Amino acid sequence: MKNGPPDAREHQTTAGPADRWQQEAARNLQRLKNFSVLMADPGAPAVGSTPREEIYRRGAARLYRYTSARTRQVPLLFIPNLGLSRPYIFDLMPGMSFVEYMTREGFDFYLLDWGTFGPEDSDLTLEECLTRTLPRAVRKVLETSGADRLSLLGYCMGGTLAACYLGLTPEGPVANLVNMAGPIDFGHTGLFGRWLDRRFFDADKVADTFGELPVAMIKAGMQLLKPTMELTSRLNLWWNLWNADYVEGYRALNRWANEYVSMPGEFFRAWIKAFYQDNRLIRGELQCGERVARLGAIRCPVLAVAAQEDHICPPGAVQALISAVGSDDTQYLELPGGHISLIAGRSASAHCWPRILNWLAARS
Amino acid sequence: MAEQSGTETLFDLWKKQMDDGIQAWTRMVSQTPDPGQFWRPFMDQSIATWTQMMAKGPVSPDVMAQWKQFLDQWIAAWGKALEQAMGTEAFAQALGRHLDQWLSLQAPVQKGAAAMNDALRAMGVPTQADLTRIARRLSGLDDRLEEIEDRLGTLLSRLGGAPGPARGDAGSGSPGASD
Repeated sequence: MKNGPPDAREHQTTAGPADRWQQEAARNLQRLKNFSVLMADPGAPAVGSTPREEIYRRGAARLYRYTSARTRQVPLLFIPNLGLSRPYIFDLMPGMSFVEYMTREGFDFYLLDWGTFGPEDSDLTLEECLTRTLPRAVRKVLETSGADRLSLLGYCMGGTLAACYLGLTPEGPVANLVNMAGPIDFGHTGLFGRWLDRRFFDADKVADTFGELPVAMIKAGMQLLKPTMELTSRLNLWWNLWNADYVEGYRALNRWANEYVSMPGEFFRAWIKAFYQDNRLIRGELQCGERVARLGAIRCPVLAVAAQEDHICPPGAVQALISAVGSDDTQYLELPGGHISLIAGRSASAHCWPRILNWLAARS
Repeated sequence: MAEQSGTETLFDLWKKQMDDGIQAWTRMVSQTPDPGQFWRPFMDQSIATWTQMMAKGPVSPDVMAQWKQFLDQWIAAWGKALEQAMGTEAFAQALGRHLDQWLSLQAPVQKGAAAMNDALRAMGVPTQADLTRIARRLSGLDDRLEEIEDRLGTLLSRLGGAPGPARGDAGSGSPGASD
């Protein structure tokens, strides 16, 4: 889940060996200098700097509207994961921000931040999120923007939640659905799917013992999923240490990578049992209140985006959305990279964001 | 004395987990027809990279880039092998057992915290549980206010002929959500 920033552009040169040795020596000096700065400056880098205003709050959740010169009719509501990590990854820093990119392109952009949770939130349920918080956020977006329809863009678990919401309310005011790396068919969730198998993993015991999914368990799970990630990240930092921009990006991403967020116990119980263990969404058996989420009832245009090297949500788990929905206008994209490379870093801004922008722009 | 036996229990548990882990790993390796197959990708890849580097003649500045490339490939090969090992049922089973034992160890800790809460409450000091209870009541009030707001919005929109505010609700069964 936690990747390093993308490698800085390799310096292509046709110079002779002497020049190249000289260049290598200069880089090493720069590495030393940046290393000293990195060690001496313990301050956390500024993140999430795009101006925004809070337009709604419910429990720990906050709905933000980002400032933009609006040129698109249909507003965009971004739904991230609940718990696990902080949503400022979507607005990491100027020049490396999905929020900044979309607002610059004229989208009236809203983000539903599920918040950070304490013991008082341990009884927050999946049903409450899908039938109260999300519908109210949708309504607030429409009221604020003055539009009568919006686009939903879910990332990771947010993609699953957006699909659930739309499956529960297919008649709702959603013009477009974009699912970025959100698992739909949990039969294809790789290592997590194997480890969370009901024969080996007792979600009830975790929720009953702690009342939440503790940060320590999330961290351990993520590290176990990709044990070499830390090493790769450090190695890439050393290699690109001469590049001040890379170092700045690394610091911001590293800050995010070390800020895990616990998940409320009841939500965690439902997330594991209903999705990972019973795969209810794709089977059309996910019930919330009196309704059942039916993906087949979704008729709006749907875009599903997966990353080829995604260990958290392998492509098969995302692609399933396309065949499950009843829309005529569907598209599936599989891009190089891992889970985070869809949303942060050079690969995201070069390959992923423009594709999403173009798809949405044509329908907004 | 009690502390000593607690330490021994923890040590025994750790030892048992180590044994389980080693057994799971051994099973995984022995499941492949040729155990050497597991290590071959590392060896092949290392040899190929070094051969390439040596064939290029005298050391050039590119040696650093080649070295980085070698490390990347080496880590990737390790990552792939570990992923394969961690994807086995034996590993998932060992992991589940480990978690189960860890959770069982947490129960006495939670019990201790509950006892401390009782003691604090007896002294009239508010505990985390008390604060949590208050926060939940506030949250409940928030919900009720929202429901009233929903109903008002619906009434106003009916009066004014504007589109109803309940658009997009997912039929929660809550009084205000779908009115």
